[in-house]
Amino acid sequence: MKLLTAAAFAALVFAQPALARDVTVDVTAIVEHPALDAVRDGVKDALGEAGFKVGENLTFNYESAQGNPGTAAQIARQFIGNGPDVIVPISTPSAQAVVSGTRDIPVVFSAVTDPVGAQLVKDLKAPGGNVTGLSDLSPIGDHIALIKEILPNVKTVGVLFNPGETNSVTLVELLKTLGAEQGIAVVESPATRSSEVQNAARALAGRVDAIYVPTDNTIVSALESAVAVAVESKLPLFTADTDSVSRGAVAALGFNYYDVGKQTGAIVVRILNGEKPGDIPVNVAAGTDLVINPGAAEKIGLELPKAVVDRATKVIK
Amino acid sequence: MSLIAFLGAVELGLVFAFVAIGVYLAFRILDFPDLTVDGSFPLGAAVAAVLIIAGWNPWLATAVAMVAGAAAGLVTATLNVKFRILNLLASILTMIALFSVNLRVMGRPNVALINQDTMLTPFYGLGLPDFYVRPLFIGVLAILAVFLVWRFLASDLGLAMRATGANPRMARAQGVKTSLHIYLGMALSNALVALGGSLFAQTNGFADVTSGVGTIVVGLAAVIIGETLFHSRLIIWALIGCVVGSVLYRIAIQLALSSDILGLKASDLNLVTAVLVAAALVLPRLRRGRAAA
Amino acid sequence: MIELSNLSVVFGRGTPLEKQALSGLELKIEAGTFVTVIGSNGAGKSTMLGVLAGDVIPTSGRVVIGGRDVTRIATADRAKYVARVFQDPLTGSCGALTIEENLALAAARGRRRGLGLALGSIRRDEFRDRVAELKLGLENRMHDRMDLLSGGQRQALSLVMATLSGSEVLLLDEHTAALDPGMAEFVMELTQSLVDKHKLTTMMVTHSMRQALDYGSRTVMLHGGKVILDVVGESRKNLTIEDLIEMFRKARGGETLDDDALLVS
Repeated sequence: MKLLTAAAFAALVFAQPALARDVTVDVTAIVEHPALDAVRDGVKDALGEAGFKVGENLTFNYESAQGNPGTAAQIARQFIGNGPDVIVPISTPSAQAVVSGTRDIPVVFSAVTDPVGAQLVKDLKAPGGNVTGLSDLSPIGDHIALIKEILPNVKTVGVLFNPGETNSVTLVELLKTLGAEQGIAVVESPATRSSEVQNAARALAGRVDAIYVPTDNTIVSALESAVAVAVESKLPLFTADTDSVSRGAVAALGFNYYDVGKQTGAIVVRILNGEKPGDIPVNVAAGTDLVINPGAAEKIGLELPKAVVDRATKVIK
Repeated sequence: MSLIAFLGAVELGLVFAFVAIGVYLAFRILDFPDLTVDGSFPLGAAVAAVLIIAGWNPWLATAVAMVAGAAAGLVTATLNVKFRILNLLASILTMIALFSVNLRVMGRPNVALINQDTMLTPFYGLGLPDFYVRPLFIGVLAILAVFLVWRFLASDLGLAMRATGANPRMARAQGVKTSLHIYLGMALSNALVALGGSLFAQTNGFADVTSGVGTIVVGLAAVIIGETLFHSRLIIWALIGCVVGSVLYRIAIQLALSSDILGLKASDLNLVTAVLVAAALVLPRLRRGRAAA
Repeated sequence: MIELSNLSVVFGRGTPLEKQALSGLELKIEAGTFVTVIGSNGAGKSTMLGVLAGDVIPTSGRVVIGGRDVTRIATADRAKYVARVFQDPLTGSCGALTIEENLALAAARGRRRGLGLALGSIRRDEFRDRVAELKLGLENRMHDRMDLLSGGQRQALSLVMATLSGSEVLLLDEHTAALDPGMAEFVMELTQSLVDKHKLTTMMVTHSMRQALDYGSRTVMLHGGKVILDVVGESRKNLTIEDLIEMFRKARGGETLDDDALLVS
């Protein structure tokens, strides 16, 4: 009896590794990008913390489509053919390519701003089927509040974005709606490729009180050109991407994409442990970091309020 | 490589076979280096997707997408013929303009079709798994396209178009209105490319403005692989070569994606493409060199 | 049949390179006449052919072919009246197309080109017969691409192509100049027989005085964009090459000729 109990106890203690059969998780993103790469790393680490370790019981495949939806479709078929336990597509087109190709392999998407608009799920609360995931809809309301806190007299905000990126368009629309409620006019300045960012920023000089950059791959990849224009025309630059602050933005309130990845990984773990994807609601990623750059503020003659400095998760020196 | 991945590659290759045939018409038949395709591919996807979402019959939506593609080809042809802008430059202008047009058409950069009825929906329920249905359906369309284009090029009208590209001065002396054939050929070429775009949207569940990136390179790669394989002067073999070349190109990429032995990743695909096209260009010369020696 | 009246062509008007290629040229050719045209380089021979074919739009004057004023009609649109063989064999036929495709292209000249098969079996046989008449053995190579043939073979086929669709006017632009003497002779004989058979109104530009006198029934000499000599009938029959050169010299006011101005052969 005692022996049996001990055996049962041992079974319980070792349950995690013993039950954690060999699993495969395939991850794909539309393009290589610091934020998207951070999501991937977060997913991997979350799996590791839950006992799914690369080299032991986890096969972790990653492919980037190099910005080409045709390649994204092919990677999707590759993964679906592999028949992994979970596929994690990062970004909208990658997720659409995977979701349109399978109705049974569990899919956990990440970094998708508008999962319903992208037809990945019909209902955020009860996705049903084989798909769930994490939305990275930026807390635009908080962003506006931060801008108002730093610039109490702000009347107009210029937004730099690529009209070809679906996430950005969603965010800009939200910004206009919420901005209007707060009495802030939004001036759009589009740039369809990184070489156009400088001109797009110039177009805002003299017309706005601040420049805002959403989580836009095109603008973020050429942020330095926007920063140069902002400094030259003494405009504060706010971003939704926290990594951009060390590159010259004044402040950013945004997701830590590594955390987004970890939250995504947590959903993957739930599915690996037996939950059905259709039963897991699609949540908006939680937790935002406030990162500030007093040096950048000083360059344009702006002093950051003490409350903001005190609250910052990270201060760039 | 798994069966699904293999059939997926075949399916994508067949979708891009329409692009390859379009590129063949422009580059080889008309001798018109046409980059419009980078815009007309997503245009086809966009028009079809928007109309399908608006409740149109997917076949009709696809037909309209082809008309839109033809219109894009006509714009390039007009810039070249009427306003005498260099052909390559004319096509680049249209391509750039189409980016904005595609955004207007869709109203946003990405339109999803995942839950919509497409041309393929009626065939999904017939008992075969989806990953068989898609390549079969598109394969039938591709065979039809090859036949129709071949038949067209064998007609009096098609012959005149071939002469327009090969020897415009002679063509005019034979009573061929060469500018008319540039309009016609560019419209036909881009209609086929738009058909490819429309099928891409319907098989992959989305239309995205960025989906035109590199269409021209993929199309050219397919044409060149086909020419290398069959190296026949006959039109029909060139057209079949477009289809086979396009499928082989996708299978090669799929191999690159799935083989851990070679250590290739998706990020190496551009290099793989360049090597493939270069090999296809160099091999015939080597073969000729050996024959001569 | 052909009427060129008060025809002037100025190239590059208003630029330093302005050149008067034709100045008030007058020429009237009866139906069925075979006219040979000679003249030194820059005399306006090619420009005149270009005006007839539609490649050159005259600055002033009128071009009438078969009673129709075609002065401003584009090349492709007047091709139904005018057939043409170029000096360069590569220009007159399409190297990328097969022999029979080239013939089909020419046979449809002046007709609406539709979606019907360009090469049905009836047409194929007809073309084969026409090519067999050349006795060059090309009837067995109907599926070969044109660029596999020699220059002479291509010119011979170009002549056949010119007679396929019932055009009334044939323009020959030094069409034997690029050929070796044997082939040139063959092509000229073929030209004469086809012109006779189809009763074509023909204008042949040539550099060869011998050809100019041996073929056709009328010889025209151009200089400075004008007709300076026009001989026909008895006076032409008795004309020798030496006479021709003498007349030419007289017409030009006694100046001597460059060797390359007229080819004596």
